[in-house]
Amino acid sequence: MTREINAELLLGRRVLAPDGRSAGRIEEIVAEPQGSVLAVREYHLGSYALMERLAATPFGRAMLDFFHGSGIGQGYRVPWDKLDLTDPEKPRLLCALADLETLKRA
Amino acid sequence: MNLARDIIDKQVVDKNQAKMGKVDGVVLALHGGKPPVVSYIEIGGITLARRVGRRTERFIRLLKKRWGSPRAQQPYRVAWRQVRDIGVDIEVALDVRETPVNDWQNWLRDKVIRRIPGS
Amino acid sequence: MDKLLEVSLGIVTSVGGYLEIGSIATSAQAGAAFGFQLLWALVLGTLCIIVLVEMSGRFAAVSHHTISDAMRERFGFNFFLLPLTVTVLLNLMVLSAEIGGVALAGEFATGIGHQWWAVPVGIVVWLLLWKGTFGLIEKGVALLGLVTLVFVVAAVKLGPDWKDLLRSAVPSLPQHDGARYWFLAASILGATISPYLFLFYSSGAIEDHWNESYLWANRAIAGIGMTFGGVISASTLVIAALVMPPSGIRDVNDYHQLPLLLTKVFGFWGLVLFIASLAIACLGAALEIALQQAYLVAQGFGWNWGKDLMPEAAPAFSLVYTLSVIIAVVPMVLGVDPLNLTVFSMALTAASLPLTILPFIFLMNDKRFVKQHTNGRLGNIAIMAIIALGFVLAIATIPLEIFSGG
Repeated sequence: MTREINAELLLGRRVLAPDGRSAGRIEEIVAEPQGSVLAVREYHLGSYALMERLAATPFGRAMLDFFHGSGIGQGYRVPWDKLDLTDPEKPRLLCALADLETLKRA
Repeated sequence: MNLARDIIDKQVVDKNQAKMGKVDGVVLALHGGKPPVVSYIEIGGITLARRVGRRTERFIRLLKKRWGSPRAQQPYRVAWRQVRDIGVDIEVALDVRETPVNDWQNWLRDKVIRRIPGS
Repeated sequence: MDKLLEVSLGIVTSVGGYLEIGSIATSAQAGAAFGFQLLWALVLGTLCIIVLVEMSGRFAAVSHHTISDAMRERFGFNFFLLPLTVTVLLNLMVLSAEIGGVALAGEFATGIGHQWWAVPVGIVVWLLLWKGTFGLIEKGVALLGLVTLVFVVAAVKLGPDWKDLLRSAVPSLPQHDGARYWFLAASILGATISPYLFLFYSSGAIEDHWNESYLWANRAIAGIGMTFGGVISASTLVIAALVMPPSGIRDVNDYHQLPLLLTKVFGFWGLVLFIASLAIACLGAALEIALQQAYLVAQGFGWNWGKDLMPEAAPAFSLVYTLSVIIAVVPMVLGVDPLNLTVFSMALTAASLPLTILPFIFLMNDKRFVKQHTNGRLGNIAIMAIIALGFVLAIATIPLEIFSGG
């Protein structure tokens, strides 16, 4: 059973964890070549990933580190198999928030 | 490769460097149990309108129904394997003249612009 | 030697194309009401536009994309919709005012009302865009635009106190009518830091096939060209300051007062020169704005674009400027006062600056576009200061307009 979804419509969608908490919004989709196809490896959530998408300058990262320090904005790395896209408008996390890797500053 | 940063909204050019619109959408193929695969890029008003909202999409679809050719009714897709290069632009191994992306502009040219002297 | 010629031509284009109804109107109002005091606003505005123009040119030369292109590519279509809509609407208003400016020149010359001139002017603008090449428009109108140097001549002839002028280049507080003072300052900034100027400049760089070897030429053109242009605007303010109050005018609110700027200095020939300057300056601006509109929309959607392409090769691009001219003519035909529209649109421009300037901080540091030519620390500080100024203007301008009575 092959379904099709549009990646650009996933961007900005809020992802809910199993306990109902918000894990952040999908800000980036990372893909890598696997054999002859380009396959999605993971999704990046949260405000940190948004800055990453804006290809931030040292200025942007500094801004974010500043906010990060005050507890605003968290970024999560979600492997492809941990995101349930049965309803593309309501993506669901298939594991607990605590199991996710956070996005670290480069 | 980051889809939002590197592919979506980037300028598409054909094999002759002619402009082919921007990447309005990317289609992922979901096979249960396997990672989603990037299968097509989409170029076209419907895809773009859908990003703005449902009503906008419906409006554009209506316009296309009224004014567009049969092949304009669905977004135009370029298979991912046709993508040759990803840099500042996305180069595809096609000739824009063989694609429908410029259909409406060609119509504009033939029906309106050619009629105006000095074009 | 070739480059030197290009740089000279580029400077001439910037000088000749600098003055338009917005700068004339705001400078005249500022000079009449506050003497030289608001000169600092012109200085500040000119510094900002030099920075923005240089960055737009550098961006285009290295990335071969324009700022408008990049606004969508970097930030996504949904974000891009906001500056797109705002800029399209503002462009239409300013285009209307510029067409009104040419129409006013016609009225001053013949006595026939500017409403009647609107359609013929619109047709001339459209014809030049339809048939002319980019080179012809850019250089032809710019060379003719050098007639606006007459304002500098007039200002010098009036013999202003140079010490006074220098003192006014630094901000000072108003002694009266505070709201009107700051509103005029904001309008001057809106007239000087016009987004269409730097957006057009980046499209022009692509049309002229610039590449990385043009970076010094870009700096020269931006720096020298915009400075000279600023001098012409400043001259208008100086003339207004010296000529209007003695004629009993402290508030320039009637466009019939504008020719006094040159008639008081040169008599009959002043009128002729004023009409010529107004017509050419506003015609040049109208062409630029209409083209910029087409560039913005075409680049945002990824269509084929380019002035040198025949309309056949870029149908949608041609459609955009055609529609823009048609829409812009309407308010003038309906009798909207060009002077009022001008001041209003300059204020709105000032208020919307953050939308078009904020992307610069990201774009100018993005190596994928500008490679190793990213902003240095100085450049980033400059752009952040301009963005901060933009936010101040965004918040303050409309309230100021209301408090100062418009």
